Amino acid sequence: MKYVIVSDRVGTPGDKFEPASPEEAAALLAGGFITQADGKSAKMETEPTEE
Amino acid sequence: MATSTYLSNPVVKIGAVDISDQCTGATINQKTTALDSTAFGDTAMKNVAGLQDNSIDLELYWSTAASETYATLKSLIGTSVNVTVQGSSAATSATNPLGTLTGGYLEEIPVEYKVGELAKVSITFKGGTFAWSES
Repeated sequence: MKYVIVSDRVGTPGDKFEPASPEEAAALLAGGFITQADGKSAKMETEPTEE
Repeated sequence: MATSTYLSNPVVKIGAVDISDQCTGATINQKTTALDSTAFGDTAMKNVAGLQDNSIDLELYWSTAASETYATLKSLIGTSVNVTVQGSSAATSATNPLGTLTGGYLEEIPVEYKVGELAKVSITFKGGTFAWSES
């Protein structure tokens, strides 16, 4: 899983973020400090399809 | 006599989050428990080193704005995290050592609201190993 920094409290916004552990990544995602690099919601399991 | 005066420079990080601008106090408690090893024949108490019993206390303003104190702490209660405290943001060195508590456990988040005052929270990260780094 790849992550991107959102908040400058963690680093430079837009830069990639390498979490030290899955727990750290979960806490930072919950706090809105980072996002997943693919832009998907953490709860989205399949990509939406065009109709 | 040379002393180190810190007015507003210390840097405090909880995990990867730099929370310095919400922090008004940080106390590093580096402790190794003393075990009593006094025996017959001794004329004074003696001790040997037991387990480390480290902790870091932080005083924080309780900001619930995005990317502030609440967002930092809300997922950490009941978990262990690394906490770092350094005298200034300058490079880590022998005169600006970086203190790291690895695996400090956050047991509670006691938020305090008082009329006429900014809301605050005093938290303690307990346990874990502590080390100073000079590079």
